[in-house]
Amino acid sequence: MTDPSIAVTRLVKRFGEVEAVRGIDFEIMPGTIFGLLGRNGAGKTTTLECCIGLTKPSSGCVRMLGLDPSNPRELARLRPRFGAQLQTTSLPEKARVGEMLELYARYYALRPATAALCERVGLLGKERQPVGGLSGGERQRLALALAIQHDPEIAFLDEPTAGMDAYGRRVLWGEVEHLRRTGKTVILTTHYIEEAERLCDEICIVQQGRIIARDTPARLIAGAGGGSTITVEAEGFAPRNGIARAGRWRHEAPGNGEGARWVLATELDPGPVLAEVVRAVDEQGAQLHALDMRRATLEDAFLNLTGERIAEDAEAGAA
Amino acid sequence: MLLAQTKMNFVWYLFRDGEMMFWALAMPIFFLVLFSFAFGFGNTTQASAFLVPGLIGAQVLTLGFFGVGVMLAQFREQKVLRRIYLTPLPPWVFFAALVLYRLTLLAFQSSILALAGSVFFHVHFTGNVLDMIAMLAIGALTFVSLGTLVGAVTKTAESANNLASVLTVPLAFLSDAYIPLDRFPSTVSAPLHLLPSTQFIDALRGVTTGGEPLAHFSLWIVVLLCWALGGMLLSARIFRWV
Ligand SMILES: Nc1ncnc2c1ncn2[C@@H]1O[C@H](COP(=O)(O)OP(=O)(O)OP(=O)(O)O)[C@@H](O)[C@H]1O
Ligand SMILES: [Mg+2]
Repeated sequence: MTDPSIAVTRLVKRFGEVEAVRGIDFEIMPGTIFGLLGRNGAGKTTTLECCIGLTKPSSGCVRMLGLDPSNPRELARLRPRFGAQLQTTSLPEKARVGEMLELYARYYALRPATAALCERVGLLGKERQPVGGLSGGERQRLALALAIQHDPEIAFLDEPTAGMDAYGRRVLWGEVEHLRRTGKTVILTTHYIEEAERLCDEICIVQQGRIIARDTPARLIAGAGGGSTITVEAEGFAPRNGIARAGRWRHEAPGNGEGARWVLATELDPGPVLAEVVRAVDEQGAQLHALDMRRATLEDAFLNLTGERIAEDAEAGAA
Repeated sequence: MLLAQTKMNFVWYLFRDGEMMFWALAMPIFFLVLFSFAFGFGNTTQASAFLVPGLIGAQVLTLGFFGVGVMLAQFREQKVLRRIYLTPLPPWVFFAALVLYRLTLLAFQSSILALAGSVFFHVHFTGNVLDMIAMLAIGALTFVSLGTLVGAVTKTAESANNLASVLTVPLAFLSDAYIPLDRFPSTVSAPLHLLPSTQFIDALRGVTTGGEPLAHFSLWIVVLLCWALGGMLLSARIFRWV
């Protein structure tokens, strides 16, 4: 059996009173694209920074390629083997894009291939632009280039597409695909659920410093019901009779304060259910504003998992 | 690698920063002219012979506390250090490149001061050139090392700046840099001679305009090197990259 690229065991990190990570375990096998998904403050960055030796765990341990990143000597041996795009960092404002890429190539003892790299991340023609004059998305793409130009065995990408437009996201997705094809391990954090679903082989959902689910995107979706969601916005409509039993209905106050929005999560074949909903709207004489049907996505799985979790806590508190 | 990194420091923090460039070159001259007249003891040549080494010494303090200490704290606060920390660049190379950049700048500033002193105020540098350079290097080593400590004990650039000011300004005034210590009552000046900055500036003045050999100051040099070593060991232990 091959050894995992990263193994995190009972990781805990406290910042004074705040317990940012409260016991996280995972192993990532080589060649996996691994995603940490969670809301703001869930502990994704803290976990990732523990993995690369920027943060010292309060307890628990991390092994990257069999070495301990919190030990300076072992970290020194790891540095050439991983690359990282951090969430909070900066480069000297007056440095130019080309200079940065060349300097980093030297850090990793590479022959600089600045033009080719700029082409890959869509910075061609920007080589002479100072870092301080780059747009947010361009900075992110430069950070990505600096993280991967030495073809690391493991790439750590902390919210690599935060603030990126569609083009930037495609660039990143392309690079992650490239890393996957060459058998590299990628660990990334994101709150774009669509991105996690599309890119990741495995996903950990992190909530309040703990992992509450870990699986492939397909199995997470299946586990969350795997059904469909039908949203009805109609004045005077309420789920009664037959359609009330089609699945779980949830009542939502619509954003504009008009009418009512009902959301149905159903495991049934959505086609006939939809037809029944339309019939019910008609029979009840309701005025239809909007009707929407979609198959379950990771987003639903995420809401389900994190929502349920909060409900459980509430029940435990009441008992 | 060291040279490439040093060169980038020049390019990023000096050549592409017009204001920095101006102050780096104009500041020493400005001080020289100002103090020569302000403290002019009737004879500005004599005043300058005292002041030029004093100003160079004060530049060395500034270099250590601000040029290295505050700069490191700034790099940390701007989160530049944490990115560098992840690359295989050895930490000492990053540090040495910063020091080398500052030292080269110091060499320039001292030469300008010395030149201005000898051209405009007829200051005679009677000492041996090698002695002068050695003394300057020893002082720079000491204050770079103590400056690193400033960058290591402070969390923010703001507090590093405050600490550096609190150290540099009084030290410069109490260390024989601008005001001759013999103007103080001896009960005050005696303990001031124990300051590393006083010892360094006096030694520097001795070997530059005082015509004394370096060997006269060997005790002080040993003491300065102890400060340097202590500062280095302590900052290596407590310096944080993130
Ligand atoms: N240096 C620190 N000092 C104090 N608290 C911290 C520190 N770093 C993180 N925290 C706290 O730890 C928790 C987790 O933070 P973390 O940055 O890991 O979240 P995250 O999942 O990456 O969130 P985001 O999606 O916003 O990036 C937060 O509540 C945060 O306030
Ligand atoms: Mg984060």
